[in-house]
Amino acid sequence: MQKPIATTRSATGIPTGRLAIWWVLASEVVIFGGLLASYLMFRLGHPEWANAAAVTNTYIGAFNTFVLLTSSFTAVLAHQAAENGDGKLAAKYLTMTIAGALIFLVVKGFEWSYKISHGYTITSNGFWSFYYTAAGLHAAHVIAGAVIMAFIAADAAKGRELHRVELIGIYWHFVDVVWIFLFPLLYIAK
Amino acid sequence: MSGHNDPKGEQAGARHPNYKQIYFVLLGLLVVSVLGPEFGIGWVTLITAFGIALVKANLVLQNFMHLRWEKRIMKWMLSTSVVLMFLLFAGVAPDVMKHEGSGWINDAALAATARGIGAPHHDVEAAATAEHAVGGVEGEAAVAEAPVEQAFDAKGAYGTVCTTCHGPSGAGDGPGAAALNPKPANFADAAFWASRTDAHLVKVIREGGASVGKSALMPAWGGLYNEAQAKALVAYIKTFKK
Repeated sequence: MQKPIATTRSATGIPTGRLAIWWVLASEVVIFGGLLASYLMFRLGHPEWANAAAVTNTYIGAFNTFVLLTSSFTAVLAHQAAENGDGKLAAKYLTMTIAGALIFLVVKGFEWSYKISHGYTITSNGFWSFYYTAAGLHAAHVIAGAVIMAFIAADAAKGRELHRVELIGIYWHFVDVVWIFLFPLLYIAK
Repeated sequence: MSGHNDPKGEQAGARHPNYKQIYFVLLGLLVVSVLGPEFGIGWVTLITAFGIALVKANLVLQNFMHLRWEKRIMKWMLSTSVVLMFLLFAGVAPDVMKHEGSGWINDAALAATARGIGAPHHDVEAAATAEHAVGGVEGEAAVAEAPVEQAFDAKGAYGTVCTTCHGPSGAGDGPGAAALNPKPANFADAAFWASRTDAHLVKVIREGGASVGKSALMPAWGGLYNEAQAKALVAYIKTFKK
């Protein structure tokens, strides 16, 4: 198939796809950054939020951090494999990354349903509003990443579009980085 | 990691640091961040939580996302976003983090701070007690989570909730009073006590000034204090009477 010209040309010297993904992430920094900065100022202005923060379970948060760090590791191994032209191996690593995403979401699901069943909902107070909004927006990114990754893995397994493995990887690491900040904000600082 | 000195940096993706090593460093940092709060020292937790988060994020950004080998324009673009985030914080935080200043007072925020994180905890306690009664395992877990009920400290409550407007000595001269019209009640004034019963004051505390035709600037604290606690508060403010 003939490639559109935009994929073969780049004014910045950065491949177009990678430029695009960085551009997306720069916007994401503003979205998550604005949310987390708002959370931080409210948390500092409301010492009583500590009572609510005390309810979150550090070990569950830590486990999910471990899962995401591991999935980032497999994502970067997929990138390495794709660069060596080994699409099958790249697909295998991407599948492992998707498995990490699923584990993360399942843990999150149990965590949330336990909290909601105990009366801590998004409308309880400011802390829980931020808790569900920030973690929810992040979870939406995990879901989107996993779905896109499934398509890319299917292509990669056939040796197609291997450059996309790097692109989804960069996105995935960003989702990991967001969680790296959410973890101390919501689970450690009590 | 000699790629660091690569002058062209065009092959951002072609550099491969030792991913496994970085992964294990990240896991090690994660363990430290979880252990940090165990020491119970505020600034240690701050460093192990947020300092380490910065280090971890930087490791991922530089090595997994290959930012260190990326074109400079990308770094500028991302930095711009981060700077915008700090601008937002610097611009808005003073209004959000402070609840009163010269000539203004944020009643709602002060009330929320004083009220604390009440409602869901009470629900949890009630639910936990109910489940506990039937021997529910979940109930026991929730009991462990629920805060311990403490004896009501009227003086402490006054200091947190009332001082802002009514003043530390009850004379209606708290820092918030300047912005209020009509002025807050003066508990030191004998005339104030001559015209009011305890039941009336309990009602004002729990239902607000408007409930008795007084200033609506006196909020309703019924969500925070029950009847007995409001009575204890009345008893305490009586000590200001001269």
